[in-house]
Amino acid sequence: MQPVSREFGAMNNINPLLNHHQISSSLQEIGQLPQMLMGSSHFDPPTSHDDFLEQILSSVPSASSFPWADDHAPPQMEEQPAAVLASKLRQHQISNGALKALMLQQQLLLSRGLAASPDDCLLPMPHGDQNDVVDGTSFKSANLVNDATVKALFNGNFTGSLSQTSNQPHEHFHHPQTQNLGTGVGGSAAPAANQPAASGSSGGAPRQKVRARRGQATDPHSIAERLRRERIAERMKSLQELVPNANKTDKASMLDEIIDYVKFLQLQVKVLSMSRLGGAAAVAPLVADMSSEGRSGNGTQTASTSNIKDGGMTVTEHQVAKLMEEDMGSAMQYLQGKGLCLMPISLATAISTATSHSRKPPAAANPLLNGEAGGPTSPSMSVLTVQSATIGGGEPSLKDAPSVSQP
Amino acid sequence: MKNPTTNPSSSMIRTRFAVRFLHAMKKLNKKTPAPSPYRRRFHTIRAAACASMACAVGPRKAWSRAILKKIRARTLHHYLINKSRNQQMMMIKRGNPRDEELAVGFGYGEEDDLRGLVPGGEGMGFCRLLSETAHYIKCLRAQVQVMTNVLDHYSST
Repeated sequence: MQPVSREFGAMNNINPLLNHHQISSSLQEIGQLPQMLMGSSHFDPPTSHDDFLEQILSSVPSASSFPWADDHAPPQMEEQPAAVLASKLRQHQISNGALKALMLQQQLLLSRGLAASPDDCLLPMPHGDQNDVVDGTSFKSANLVNDATVKALFNGNFTGSLSQTSNQPHEHFHHPQTQNLGTGVGGSAAPAANQPAASGSSGGAPRQKVRARRGQATDPHSIAERLRRERIAERMKSLQELVPNANKTDKASMLDEIIDYVKFLQLQVKVLSMSRLGGAAAVAPLVADMSSEGRSGNGTQTASTSNIKDGGMTVTEHQVAKLMEEDMGSAMQYLQGKGLCLMPISLATAISTATSHSRKPPAAANPLLNGEAGGPTSPSMSVLTVQSATIGGGEPSLKDAPSVSQP
Repeated sequence: MKNPTTNPSSSMIRTRFAVRFLHAMKKLNKKTPAPSPYRRRFHTIRAAACASMACAVGPRKAWSRAILKKIRARTLHHYLINKSRNQQMMMIKRGNPRDEELAVGFGYGEEDDLRGLVPGGEGMGFCRLLSETAHYIKCLRAQVQVMTNVLDHYSST
């Protein structure tokens, strides 16, 4: 609805004009009034205020003969006997408390939907003592005249302004405008038209909390959506602080990190609960699909030995687990300091099988432990795997979860 | 041991969890001596850890409630039944469909993974899921710290 949209622009321009009291333009306005009041078919003023308009028309008898101006047409004021109308209007302004006069003016603006040029849409304020009252009443009356959306727009704000008895009429205009935007258009009668006007006129007005955005209805659904999005965003931010490696700005990758971290923590709990079962040997059936029966037998056998021999390994493993929980980097450094590193199971398997093929370890104490006791002097890397490697069951001593293999 | 998170709430959780966990472990050790089948024992220990963590948190959070429900209803028989029933229910109540749209709109295909990870994460919206995840992560970290400490203490002696 174009008229509704234009009136906002009109309202914007009223403020300077009110202060300036441009009489000439006001005369033009008054000249347009009869056109407004006539009403034509291509207006769509609601029939509800037609009778009201008739009342107005009756008070301005000279206007009855003129047709409504077009919505988009510039004011055709020159055609009107402006002087006559002006005098009539002045009469009304002065005598009738300017109520009807301002209503006429309002109607002019609102139903015409004047363009946002300063010359066109002028709501001349009667320069008199009645400014405040006139303002309030005019706005209030405007509610009656206009259609539902505009009424909804004006209602909350102008009645509010009515309560104030400020001496600055332009403030009424300012606040109602911003409040209009803030409260949103009640009823979605013309949301699309309102939005451009609202955003256009909100350019000068201070920003409100709930902004009517272009092309987006301010119905509660979108507001709820926006609120939900904001809530999700803040939750993501708090998660970001919890999870290490939180330097990802991308939301999807952040979610990946979170998932990985949760998996990692659960794995840690798993490992810890396993290693509680009697040293590192018990962590062997960590992966569920392992054939644990044979290994458990071996595990028991090696448990006794490994409890003794794996003391150092257990401590190392726990230390590593502890460090891993804090910072992966420090954990890796610790491992490297010991001459160990982390590697995937498959690689560990390959290396272990290669090792087992290359040299048969004696059935006694874990040769790898001995090798490891040699420290980082070995040229190649010793490997500490957190999860047990599935080495074909020929070497029971290797089945410890912290399987250290030496190539 | 250096504790990265020393805010009072996490330390409270830690102490509560530690107490419960130690009690549970003591009971466990009394019931079944060490060299029993390891898998079962591992599962029991992990369940004890999770249960003590959930008890320490209390029924305030959805994920702890889910864990407690699962454990209380838990004989093997009931567990199997509930599993199938839970799976059905999980498929039915997927939370707010709009949340899924949001998740997809955000580019989150892996929302389902997160639901699978966090206990009880099936029947809640995405927004709620995120807050539950945050709390769950905190509690997991506390759990790991406590268990590590206990392990160090007992293995070193």
